[in-house]
Amino acid sequence: MDVFASLFMFWLVNIAHSLTGCALQSCSDLHSNPLGGNTAAYLLLIKYRRRYRSCLAVDEMGETSSVENEFDDWFIESLKIYNNIHEYQLEHPTRVIEWTSEKTICVAGYSSDKNEILELLLPLKLFSDDNQGLCAERDFKVVHGGFSVGSIHCLKHIPGTRCVVTNDGFNSNLQVWDVGGDDCDVIKRTGVLQLKSASSDKGVKIAPGLTGGPCVLHGSQISDIQLTELTSGKPLYSLGKDIPDLLSSLQFVSGSVFLACACNGDLYVGDTRKPSALQNNPAGGREGVHWCMGVKTDLFSSDPSSCSVARLSSACQVVVSDLRDLRAPLCQAQLHVQRKTTSDDFMKVTWAPALDNCLAVSGFDGMVQIYDTASWRPELMEFQPLFIHQGHMMSDDQFDTSSAVVTTHVWHPSRPRTVLSAAVDGSVHVWDWVDKATASC
Amino acid sequence: MARVPKVLLRGLLGLAVTPGAVTLDVLEGAGQDVGRSCILVSIGGKNIMLDCGMHMGFNDDRRFPDFSYITQQGRLTEFLDCVIISHFHLDHCGALPYMSEMVGYDGPIYMTHPTKAICPILLEDFRKITVDKKGETNFFTSQMIKDCMKKVVPLNLHQTVQVDDELEIKAYYAGHVLGAAMVQIKVGSESVVYTGDYNMTPDRHLGAAWIDKCRPDILISESTYATTIRDSKRCRERDFLKKVHETVERGGKVLIPVFALGRAQELCILLETFWERMNMKAPIYFSTGLTEKANHYYKLFITWTNQKIRKTFVQRNMFEFKHIKAFDRSYADNPGPMVVFATPGMLHAGQSLQIFKKWAGNEKNMIIMPGYCVQGTIGHKILNGQKKLEMENRQTLEVKLQVEYMSFSAHADAKGIMQLIRMAEPRNMLLVHGEAKKMEFLKDKIEQEFTINCFMPANGETTTVITNPSVPVDISLNLLKREMALGGPLPDPKKPRTMHGTLIMKDNSLRLVTPEQALKELGLNEHQLRFTCRVQLQDPHSDPDTLSRIYTHLKSVLKGYTIQHLPDGTVMVESIVIKVSSSAEEPNTKVLLLSWSYQDEDLGSFLSTLLKKGLPSGLSSM
Repeated sequence: MDVFASLFMFWLVNIAHSLTGCALQSCSDLHSNPLGGNTAAYLLLIKYRRRYRSCLAVDEMGETSSVENEFDDWFIESLKIYNNIHEYQLEHPTRVIEWTSEKTICVAGYSSDKNEILELLLPLKLFSDDNQGLCAERDFKVVHGGFSVGSIHCLKHIPGTRCVVTNDGFNSNLQVWDVGGDDCDVIKRTGVLQLKSASSDKGVKIAPGLTGGPCVLHGSQISDIQLTELTSGKPLYSLGKDIPDLLSSLQFVSGSVFLACACNGDLYVGDTRKPSALQNNPAGGREGVHWCMGVKTDLFSSDPSSCSVARLSSACQVVVSDLRDLRAPLCQAQLHVQRKTTSDDFMKVTWAPALDNCLAVSGFDGMVQIYDTASWRPELMEFQPLFIHQGHMMSDDQFDTSSAVVTTHVWHPSRPRTVLSAAVDGSVHVWDWVDKATASC
Repeated sequence: MARVPKVLLRGLLGLAVTPGAVTLDVLEGAGQDVGRSCILVSIGGKNIMLDCGMHMGFNDDRRFPDFSYITQQGRLTEFLDCVIISHFHLDHCGALPYMSEMVGYDGPIYMTHPTKAICPILLEDFRKITVDKKGETNFFTSQMIKDCMKKVVPLNLHQTVQVDDELEIKAYYAGHVLGAAMVQIKVGSESVVYTGDYNMTPDRHLGAAWIDKCRPDILISESTYATTIRDSKRCRERDFLKKVHETVERGGKVLIPVFALGRAQELCILLETFWERMNMKAPIYFSTGLTEKANHYYKLFITWTNQKIRKTFVQRNMFEFKHIKAFDRSYADNPGPMVVFATPGMLHAGQSLQIFKKWAGNEKNMIIMPGYCVQGTIGHKILNGQKKLEMENRQTLEVKLQVEYMSFSAHADAKGIMQLIRMAEPRNMLLVHGEAKKMEFLKDKIEQEFTINCFMPANGETTTVITNPSVPVDISLNLLKREMALGGPLPDPKKPRTMHGTLIMKDNSLRLVTPEQALKELGLNEHQLRFTCRVQLQDPHSDPDTLSRIYTHLKSVLKGYTIQHLPDGTVMVESIVIKVSSSAEEPNTKVLLLSWSYQDEDLGSFLSTLLKKGLPSGLSSM
């Protein structure tokens, strides 16, 4: 290798470091690469070839910028890695995406001033399985909309009703909204629910009740968790234990049993029928690390092993356990993430409802990563993602990988590989990725 | 001295500044996708018809707007001052020959140059389908289209056209399709902007709609997509490329029926770029004649395309393609993959239909319909999933090839509408083409965000919007000087200040002058106007004592006023005279007589109100 070539390689490596996209593409190509040990170099060359071709395009077109080419690279790549992808631009960014029915979601703004809550109907194209080709409808429809004075940090739909409850992230009150029916497209606020013992101004986490009458479990710290009947505002249950740890996630796993994850990583199991029963599972986590949780439940199974809990830390680790023993991790992994934000605000981990062992992670940067936990082990190791959605970093208007941060994501309840995600620039993407394993078969 | 009473002055102002009214009659404007647009605007005594669209879903009378609404009052030509067509889509111009030649209208019809060039081609195309294919009668003829187009006056962007002495119109770029325009209509100080269909995001061949901060009294916007959040152009294109690519990869043929102009060029630019990029080898063909025709139009109207195309045009014409070649009918039987753009777009005749018949039987092939198809056409049938088609001479054609429907139409969505309002800053907003029930939220949103009124008239409904035109009035220097002399804060445009004067309306001009000057000019005598009133008061003192008590009371209340206790038994406050009397029967019931001139009316009514409350008990009578 002559001097020029080695300098050139140096340049390539530099580029690889500066572009996360490059490093990530190399991961996704790992399996198919026949060169084994030389993977990195091989992939860098692919990258280089792409860039070089882009340069040619510049010469021909006279004015195409390299930014556009980076963008075009992803565009061409997207033809292969997605079955379907839809990109929308909201007027104001959202940090909530909540299913309100099989075909509708709610999004809401989180600016400090005035905000909107919108209920959106997903495009018909996503639901016409047999004759998808004949359906040209690929737009979201705003079916209902309303105005909120405060910011919306948390929004949950109450199953079996047209109600959503929201919290602004700064006080412990819950706003109750009637999303409305066919006769009117305006979402109206119908009431306020209060915590009996409001103890902080940190905002509230919400978990809708799964069975029985419409009710909602809410709290800002472990000690003030309370179950409230939606219509009357009457408290049905309160924990009443003096544990001032801040709450990061809250979810029912059956009609009465719920899981609460504290910001320090401790997991609590509570039962709304037995106010005194509370099981604590300390995580023994590091100081200053923020944790949140994702739970996969099967309401029809009483087997405790069917309920998987994944805890995500701000140090980019995921710990998986199940209801049999929440203390001992079944498996864990150090994620392949380069944090772009110092805030823990948007951290989110969710289990795929219609895929085994798959979870999605977002909130550290502009990507949503999908991991297959089947290969994970009880001891901590770094693992590569199964798939990465980079779309939010390839925005139409500006190419800015540094500022793009994904605010939230949700899985489609029944389509195995369809995910909805939103970012700080107001983009909302619906994507259905191609599973390489099955595609190559 | 006579002064015109203030009330009258206000009345005069009211008369002079008759609040303007703009009325809008939404003759037609149906639901989603393929309605028909036809709006009548009355502004400053002028009647303007905006668009003259045809409903593509009907085959009977309902297809055209109901002009009897106007014609029952006389001929269209007498009633209408002009007709303006926003763009060449049939739901905006399809009823034009019917209106001008069959109903009868001889006035001017305004449209942009590209619309003028393309509109008759589309009308003729549609006439052929309706009359020649479906055999319908009572439709306009080719000659009528030609005669109609003779009445067209072309518009340039940003050029103000004087329709008559008072009515002027100006066109703005609307994106959407080649030649699409938004129009500003102005009569005196009142104005209306009509958007037609517009697009706030640029695409591969057109730019985004733009308008200056013209602050119209009303902005009339289409709202067909007002409740949608549009999927990005990029994803639509991606889908198209994916489908084409997959078909070509498996060795299939792709047919894309297109109309000669518009989306076809956009899709060609897209495929050309993709082919170049992916180093694709499969041939792409374009219907013969189409390329030349299209190139001709695009060269002619290059200023209407987007910036990139305009800028590169000198070095390289984006519409002269490297990979896309002219099609010959013999190519259709060639083996191997290929992509063909062919006209017409709805598969009702010609080359696209011929190719379709050849390729329909092979499931490896694909047809991509990039736009809407009229009922009765093959295109419409296959889009409805029909698998067996009855062809001429009783043959049936089995449709085995893959059918894909893709919409590339470029309309403004909710965000686009908000952007346009932000640009134009209208005083009122009017949304047409939408379903009011589903737009309550958008209406609230517009009204809250911009603090303007938002209207959503239904079909056949008239909306009247009160405008608030400013009326210039000349003020005499004397009056201004007098006002200055009175002191007070310096003039501030944000804080209105009351001033008194006399308004003279004469010879079409309004002047505000001092009352003295008005009297002099009009040769009128000065009249005195005095108000008197009686106030009853319980005060157990002698009359002179009561008067003294009133004097003391007023002295303490009205600081800085000239108050005199005169020896003739009266109290004077400025020009106001107060006397006290009582009857012998009831010496404690005093009757106060107050009298003041018109000039001191404010003070006079203040005093009468004050004295009605009685006198405070602790007053000395001096």
